[in-house]
Amino acid sequence: MSPLLAADLNYTWAQALGDLSQIAAVATLTGFFLFAIVVDLVLPKHRRGGAVAMTAVTGFAFALGTAAYRWVYGQGGASAYHGFATGDNFALFFEILFATLGILTVALSHSYLRKRGLLESEFHILIMAAVIGMMVLGSATSLVTVFLGLELLSIALYIACGFVRTESRSQEAAAKYLLVGGFASAFVLYGMALIYGGAGTTVIPEIAKRLDATSSGNPLIILGIVLMGVGFAFKVSAAPFHMWTPDVYQGAPLPVTAFMSVGTKAAAFAMIVRVFSGGLPHLAPEWQALLAFVAATSMVVGNLMAIAQTSLKRLLAYSGVAQAGYILVGVIAGGQSGLSAVLYYLFVYMFMNFGAFAVITLLAGPEGDRDRFSDLEGLARRNPVMAVLMSVFMLSLAGFPPSVGFFGKLFLFTAGVSAGYTWLVVLAVVMSVVSVFYYVRVLIPVWSPSARTDRVPASISSQGVLWLSALASVALGVYPTTVLLLGQLGANPISGP
Amino acid sequence: MTLTVIWLLPMVGSALIAFMPPRFAKWLGVVVAIAALGVAAGVAFSFAPGYRGYQYSEAVPWIPQLRIFYRLGVDGISLWLVVLNAFLTVIAILATPVSTRNVNRFVALMLAMSAGLAGVFMATDLVLFYVFWEAMLIPAYFLLWLFGEGDRPARAAVKFVLYTLAGSLLMLVGVIGEYVFTGKQTFDLATLATLAPSPSIQFGLFSVFALAFAIKTPLFPFHSWLPDAYMAAPTPMLITFAGVMGKAGAYGFLRIAVPLFPEPVGWWDWRWVVPVLAVAAIIWGALMAIAQRDMKLLVAYSSVSHMGFIVLGIFSYNVQGQQGAILQMVNHGIIISALFLIVAWISDRAGTRDRSAMAGLAARMPVMAGVFIVVTLAALGLPGLNSFVGEFMTLLGAWQRAPVLALFGAIGLVLAPVYMLRLFQGVMQGAPAGPVPRSDIRTAQLLLLAPLVLLMFVIGLDPNALTSLMTSLGQAGLAR
Repeated sequence: MSPLLAADLNYTWAQALGDLSQIAAVATLTGFFLFAIVVDLVLPKHRRGGAVAMTAVTGFAFALGTAAYRWVYGQGGASAYHGFATGDNFALFFEILFATLGILTVALSHSYLRKRGLLESEFHILIMAAVIGMMVLGSATSLVTVFLGLELLSIALYIACGFVRTESRSQEAAAKYLLVGGFASAFVLYGMALIYGGAGTTVIPEIAKRLDATSSGNPLIILGIVLMGVGFAFKVSAAPFHMWTPDVYQGAPLPVTAFMSVGTKAAAFAMIVRVFSGGLPHLAPEWQALLAFVAATSMVVGNLMAIAQTSLKRLLAYSGVAQAGYILVGVIAGGQSGLSAVLYYLFVYMFMNFGAFAVITLLAGPEGDRDRFSDLEGLARRNPVMAVLMSVFMLSLAGFPPSVGFFGKLFLFTAGVSAGYTWLVVLAVVMSVVSVFYYVRVLIPVWSPSARTDRVPASISSQGVLWLSALASVALGVYPTTVLLLGQLGANPISGP
Repeated sequence: MTLTVIWLLPMVGSALIAFMPPRFAKWLGVVVAIAALGVAAGVAFSFAPGYRGYQYSEAVPWIPQLRIFYRLGVDGISLWLVVLNAFLTVIAILATPVSTRNVNRFVALMLAMSAGLAGVFMATDLVLFYVFWEAMLIPAYFLLWLFGEGDRPARAAVKFVLYTLAGSLLMLVGVIGEYVFTGKQTFDLATLATLAPSPSIQFGLFSVFALAFAIKTPLFPFHSWLPDAYMAAPTPMLITFAGVMGKAGAYGFLRIAVPLFPEPVGWWDWRWVVPVLAVAAIIWGALMAIAQRDMKLLVAYSSVSHMGFIVLGIFSYNVQGQQGAILQMVNHGIIISALFLIVAWISDRAGTRDRSAMAGLAARMPVMAGVFIVVTLAALGLPGLNSFVGEFMTLLGAWQRAPVLALFGAIGLVLAPVYMLRLFQGVMQGAPAGPVPRSDIRTAQLLLLAPLVLLMFVIGLDPNALTSLMTSLGQAGLAR
C-alpha cells in the first residue's frame, strides 16, 4: 500500500480543519460569495446591487487581509488535503493580487452597471466566483485542483462576457470564448491525463520527483507537455493561440474585459509556473523550447497587429498578447530572478493595464461602450486629470522609465540574458520599439486640440481606481524594491531560495 | 545631496508649475531654473581639479536585488555639461513668450526635460543613466508635439521618439549585457570601466550603445530625424533641445562607449569606424547646410557638422581630442542657441524663413546685424572666439591619431564660412530687398543674448578656465 493511501485512512476531521488554514483566503472569499448570493435573494430589488457590491468588496478585503496576515505571521506553506493545495508564499502572492483586482473591478463596475442599466448583483457575484477560481489556481498543487480552478474561473467568465444580453457583440464574445475556452480546457485536460499516465500521480511535487531527465525520451510525457502548453498558451492569450482575445475583449462589457485582461493572464501564468517550473523542472529544455517559440510569436504578432487597430479594446487585446510574450521570457529564464520578475510584472501589470481599461470604461455611455480612438478626442479638456492618468498608463505600458513598465521589462530581460536567451530579449526589445508607436498613438486624440467640450464624469469609486492604479504605476517603479522582494519570496516555493 | 538638488529642483518645480495659473508660470520657472543654475555653479566653483574619482558623489542602494544603486557624481567630463544645461534652461525659459498657449505646461515640460538631462550627465550607475536617458524623451515628445511649429508637429515628434527609442531600447540590452557578461553583476560605471569583457562581446555591446548614442548625437547616417524635429521645435525648446540634448549622445560616447569598451573589435574595428562616420558627418552636414534656403534648417544641418567634430575628438583617444570635444560641446551649445534665437527673431520680423527672399536687412536692424556677425564668426570658428579653440583641439587630437582624419575633418572648417557667411551676407547685406522688418532687436532680446555672446568671448580668450577642470576624471578608460 502506498504511503499516500495509508495516510488516507488516518485522515481526521481535525486535520481537515487544520488544512483549512492553508486555503484560508479562498475559504474566506467563498464564505462571502455564498453570503452574497443570500443577500441577493432576500433583499428588495432596488437595494440588492449596492449591498452585494459592499459584500463583494468586504469579502475581497477580508481575503486580502487573510492572505497578508498569513504572509507575515504564517509558518510558510504546507501541503494540504493530500497535496491538492497549499498556502505557500506563491499562493499567497497571487491571493493578494487577485483580491486587489477584485476590489478594483467592483469599484470600477458599480457606476458602469448603473449607467448601462445592467443587473448589478449578479455581476459582482460572477466576479467573486471568477476570483475564487483564480485563487484556487494560485494555491493548487495537484493537476486536479489546477483544472478545478481553471474551470471555475472560465465558466464564471463565459457568463460575464455575455452579460449584456441585448447586445449581439456581447453574445458573440461569450459564445466564442465558451467554444475556444472549452477547446483549451480539453487540451489541458488531455495533457494532464498523459502526464498522469507517465508519472502515476497528479500531485505536482510528486511529479517533479518521479519524472527526471530520462523521461524526455517518453513520447507520452512530451505529448502531455505540448498539449498542456497549448492549453496554457490559449489561456494567457499568447500567439499563435490568441485569436479569441481581440473578439472577446471587444465584445465583453468593459469592466469584464479589464478584469479578464489582468486576472486571467495572471492566473494562467500562476498555472504555467506551478505546473511547468514546479512540476517538470527536469524536463525544462522541452517546455522551454515550446514557450520560447510561443513567446517570440506573441511579441511579433501582438505588436504588429496592434498597430492596425481602430478599437481601443482590440488594441489593448493585442498589446496583452505582446505583454504575455514578454512575461514568458521570465518564465523561460526561470530561477529566482526569472520567476520573481514574472511575479513583479504580473503585479504591476494589473495596475497599468487595469488603469488603461478604467479610463475607457468611464467613456462608456448608456447605449454601449465607446472604444474608438475618436471617443478619446479632447480628453485633455473634457477631463484633464483623466488625460494625465491615461498618459501615465500608456507610457507605462510602453515601458518608459520611471514607470513600472520599464522596471518590469528590466527585470524580465535581465533574467532572460542571464539565462542565455539573449536572442529572445533582443527580439523583445525590437518589438517594444514597435509597441511605443501604438501606445503613443492613443495619446494623440487625448491631447490634440478638439472642439468637444462634453465632460467625462467619473464617480468617486472610479476616481479611486484611477488614482490608485496611476500612483502604483509610478511609485512601484520609482521604488520597485519591495514588490520585487515580495516576488522573490513568492517565487521561493517554486525556484528555491 | 547637492547633485540630487540639481535635478530634483527642476522636477519639483515642473510638477508645481504644471498646475499653476499660466500668469506666474514663466517667472516661477525662471526662479527655479536660476536656483538650479546657482547650485550647479556652486559645484563648479568648489570643484577640485585633478581629483581622481567622482566628486560630490552620492550612492544609495536602490534595487539591491540587482545591485542597482542611485549613484550620482560629477567629474571633469560632466561638470561643464551640467552647468551648460542649467544655464541654457534659464535662457530657454526667459526666451519663452508669455503669450504662448498653455505656457504653464510648456515651462513645466521644459523643466522636466532639463531635469532629465541633468540626471543623464550626473548618473554614474548604468541603470540610473538609462532611466534618465529614457525619461527625458517623454517631455521632449510632448514639447515637440503640443507646441511644435509647422503643419505636422505630431509626425515629427513620433519620428523623433521612435528613432531615439530604436537606439535606446537596444541600449537596454547593452546595459543588461554589461551586468551579465562582465561577470561582476554590477551597474557601477567606475567598476565597469575596469572590467572589459572579451573583444567579441565588447564589439556587440559597443554596437548597441554606439547606435543609441549615434542616433541621439546625431551622427551620420543616423541624422534624418534631426531636420524634422528641429524644424518642428519651438525656438525656446530648441535652446535646450539642440543645445544640450544632442550633447547627451556625445557624452554617452565619452562616458560609456569609449571607456567601457577599449577594444571593440569584431567584424570590424569600431575605433576606426566611428571617427570615419564623424568625418562624414562634418562634411555631409556642411554640404547640406550650404544647400538650404530655410534659415532654421541651415542652422540645423550646421549642427550635424559641428557634432561631427565633437565625436571625432572623442574618438581620437587622446587628451587634446577629448578635452577639445568637451569644450566644443559647451561652445556648440552656446552658439547654436544664439543662432536659433537670432534666426527666429529675424524671420519673425521679416515674415519668412527663406534666406533668399530677403536682403539688406542690416540697414533696418543694425544692432541685430552686429550681434549676428559676432555669432556667425563664432560659429565658423574665428580665432579669439570660443568655437576655434574647441575645433582646433579636436582636430589636433585627430591628427595625432591619424593625420588623414584631421585633413578630411578640416574640410568642415573650410565649408563653415561658406554657409555661415552666405547666410549673413545674403540676409543682412546688399541692397535692401524683400520684406521690410518691423523693428530692430528689442532690448530684452539683446539682454537675453548678452550672456551668450559674452561667454563666446570669455571661453575664446581663456579656454583654460574650462579645460583646467577637465583633468579630474571619475573613472578609468579615458585619456588623461
